[in-house]
Amino acid sequence: MNFTGDRVSSIRHLLAAAARVYEGRHRLIGPIAETTGLSPEGVELGFGYLERRASDADLGALLAGASEAAHVHVILSANVFVAPLRALALAIAAAPKVTVRPSPRDPWLTRALVGELENRCVEIVDERSAAALDADSFHVYGRDETIALVKAEAHRGTAIWGHGAGLGVVILTQAAEVDAAAMRIALDVVAFDQRGCLSPRLVLVEGNLAQGTRVAEALHRELAALADLVPRGRLDPDEREQARRWTDTVAFAGRTWQGRDHVVGLGPDGEPLTVPPAGRHVHVANVRSLEDARALLHPTARFIVSVGTDDPERVRDSVPDHARLSPLGAMQSPPLDGPVDRRRA
Amino acid sequence: MSAALARSSALHERARAMARAFEKHQPPPESFDSLAADLARFQAEHVPGYARLCAARGVDAHSIMRAADAPAVPTDAFKVARVFAFDERDAGVTFRTSGTTLGARGAHSMRDAATYDAVALAFGKAMLGIGPRIPVLVLGPSEDEAPDSSLAHMCALFSRELGVSETRTDYFVQAGSLQVEALRARVGSLRADAPALLLATSFALVHLLDEIGADPLPLPPGSRVMQTGGFKGRSREVSAPELRRLLSIRFSVPERAIISEYGMTELSSQFWEATFVDERAGLGVYAEPPWARVVPVDPETLSAVPRGDVGVARIEDLANVDSAFAIVTQDRVRRVAGGFELLGRLPGAPPRGCSIALDEILSGSETPP
Repeated sequence: MNFTGDRVSSIRHLLAAAARVYEGRHRLIGPIAETTGLSPEGVELGFGYLERRASDADLGALLAGASEAAHVHVILSANVFVAPLRALALAIAAAPKVTVRPSPRDPWLTRALVGELENRCVEIVDERSAAALDADSFHVYGRDETIALVKAEAHRGTAIWGHGAGLGVVILTQAAEVDAAAMRIALDVVAFDQRGCLSPRLVLVEGNLAQGTRVAEALHRELAALADLVPRGRLDPDEREQARRWTDTVAFAGRTWQGRDHVVGLGPDGEPLTVPPAGRHVHVANVRSLEDARALLHPTARFIVSVGTDDPERVRDSVPDHARLSPLGAMQSPPLDGPVDRRRA
Repeated sequence: MSAALARSSALHERARAMARAFEKHQPPPESFDSLAADLARFQAEHVPGYARLCAARGVDAHSIMRAADAPAVPTDAFKVARVFAFDERDAGVTFRTSGTTLGARGAHSMRDAATYDAVALAFGKAMLGIGPRIPVLVLGPSEDEAPDSSLAHMCALFSRELGVSETRTDYFVQAGSLQVEALRARVGSLRADAPALLLATSFALVHLLDEIGADPLPLPPGSRVMQTGGFKGRSREVSAPELRRLLSIRFSVPERAIISEYGMTELSSQFWEATFVDERAGLGVYAEPPWARVVPVDPETLSAVPRGDVGVARIEDLANVDSAFAIVTQDRVRRVAGGFELLGRLPGAPPRGCSIALDEILSGSETPP
């Protein structure tokens, strides 16, 4: 039996299902906006990042990197709303039998995808206890506590693959064209209101404070312009509290540019980074060299999932090995060649 | 002396005058708001970050007439910026918070510790009900071992100024290790008719309880135990009432003699339970000295919440002359009769999406002093 061919075929079915869900997305925009807190325009923008096609090479890489199991159970707990597609693709690549527990808070896309598949290769199982399931592999997408709980509950010998929360970072080299870069960074920030692990929250600018200031000002302009097209959704009380705290801290330590739906902060030269909360908050810091960038990122390195840059070749050595390097403006749409998060939990 | 230093010294003197008046049971020599307004102006002129914060909040520091009108500095600022009004070379004392996963430690620098010491002693002595000198035992490191810990500094200060003697043998955490047998021997050597004072962190007390099990470690009648700080993963967690109950049993002192202190590296003043000196004082209620106060504020708007409601602690400390007299923390507090209750931090709601939450990156902003 040609397992690889079967699984590629199943993933192609999944992508076709995603395309149908995308075509009928108007039915889902309201419920997804309600559960995610995104504005309807933000949901529409987010749908643009739903994978609907993949090259043979990417699917080959996806399959090559997949572990082998008889039954993968996917637990979706905390993700951006389009993430179930890739999670299911990874599971299909790993096992002939796939079950999934949708996020209780945000089940819409998972249910829509499985509905379009007509249960042919994925079945929804709402059971909450890992101990009650006979899967030999769990793919868990959620907070560290969720992953730890599944590990504790699962039968001995069960493989657990955990995808925890993460952080995106931008590194701009001195050669970057500031206005164009800012426009693309703003797109990466606005997608999912920065609630994804690929979303950039830190922007390191190679150069002096004046260069950092130029980038911060340009990013402020671009975020303000985008807010007219894609307003930020609602922030939870915790998020608003963190935003207030971060904004005041950066105002004290450096400088802020505040818009209706965003805040850009510029940190002081050479001081430690303050990681902003999600919700369109970006911390810009200038670094004298890419070596300085590496040093500044060191304390957060294990959280960094994605790095956007204008010059991947120069920046490669300054970022953690596990981080995905993406062109600016494409941080939210990595190829379907494996998990977005290449850290292993 | 520069004009700025002269102004700073005069403000320090005014803060210390409040402490002296308190010690003499006299009314404060000036109003809280009067000194607060002058501190706000001074800090806006000489702490660059404070001027920027005022500007960002749309506040003209020179128009501030009441403490409540002054923007509060988030404690995170102490981690990422310089929060002092003098030349860095003039910093005689720097206290630091414990480390974080981001590697940044909060730093609170002072030209010297004279005002810190004056206010700490004045209020601490009153809340601990200390008259003549008594034996002071410290379940913590000495200043030599922890030179940048404000708690170690305070304990050494109390040992030096309130104790019958201050020797290295009165510190029962050495090289990070609890010296249980040495403590047992020292407690055994105490005169039965002379009360003692034991100063300790909550997590050290939990470790001690774990070590001694059910064995009593009776302190002389009239003794008090100061406990401070949370657990921060450094020991198992024990609820405040349970810890108080266990300590009362093991040390053979009344529960009201187990006195909690609340302080932070970013402050110069501390808050104490008044249970030992005021029979009306409630357990878990922290009293404030006349020169410092805690205001529960809405965490988003930073406006005071109605009395009785829970808010985050905005702390106004007039002894923070050269840094930030108004700070805002993440600790939840509630005003009650006699002071405020400390409710700790609430775990946030599960964040949406897979973007890592700040709490997952930072191991806490404020740390034990």
